[in-house]
Amino acid sequence: MDKRLRNALKQLTASDTESRRRAMEPFVRATFALFIGHLHRYLGNEVECEDVLEDVYADIWENPDHLRDIEEEGHLLKTVYLYYMRKRLREVYRRMNRRASLSQDDLQNLMAPDLGLCDLLSQEELKQLLHKMLGKLKARERKAIELWMEGMSNRAIANQLGTTVGAVKMLEYRTILKLKEMLKEYCRASGGED
Amino acid sequence: MLNADREIQELLADYAVALRDGCVPTFLKSLTRDEARRISESRDFWEATEVVRLMNSAGFGDKLVTPDVGLFISRVDAGIASRMKKAQASTRDRSRSHVNLQ
Repeated sequence: MDKRLRNALKQLTASDTESRRRAMEPFVRATFALFIGHLHRYLGNEVECEDVLEDVYADIWENPDHLRDIEEEGHLLKTVYLYYMRKRLREVYRRMNRRASLSQDDLQNLMAPDLGLCDLLSQEELKQLLHKMLGKLKARERKAIELWMEGMSNRAIANQLGTTVGAVKMLEYRTILKLKEMLKEYCRASGGED
Repeated sequence: MLNADREIQELLADYAVALRDGCVPTFLKSLTRDEARRISESRDFWEATEVVRLMNSAGFGDKLVTPDVGLFISRVDAGIASRMKKAQASTRDRSRSHVNLQ
């Protein structure tokens, strides 16, 4: 963890509210990119990410106890996600789900899930891992995922692959499940839990 | 998302597009009762959503347009100031009611 973040954390866990308020600026500067990148994983929308993150920081200011004794960035992200972000994510979607059909439990699992197999990997590690996994797929499967990741619609992908939208969705589904198996394999190999 | 009775693979593909395009609420609203039940019962769907999130993050996470952090910090500070005021006001109210009781 860099010195700037370590200092900010130390000040943030001070006892009086004014000191914590002053400590918030360096803390936000040191963590904003890390936290918003992580939130984007669940929301996919920058504006919503900012709104949620604003509340997350205020919650941290109000009760920073969970952030005591944090020594490294991965631990910080995990703690902030589990104790602050999840609660806010759940609140946002509880409001949105008033007229939706999904049960509250399913909605929570969809929008604010438990931390998954590779959720704490950095952007760079994640990219490398995905690149490696895509290399093991069949050409058509890899193409479908790469085109999706370029931002193409399923119709555009279907046109590129010379097939129907339904077939593309099925191909994506099967390929994603294949990637999931590879992820599990990766975690087993690197000593993580399944 | 016009198809009214989507199979699980279609639901996953639609969720993936919604997450990528930042419109998950639209996806949630589009779900019928049967589709919601299908999602609930599908272990594959839940496992696949994790990969979708990672794909979304790897593909688009670093394309995030970072807003003006200074401006964001002032929003956070305003939020904190408002919480401080509320806390002070509630402490005042409590002490007033305590005085009235006496």
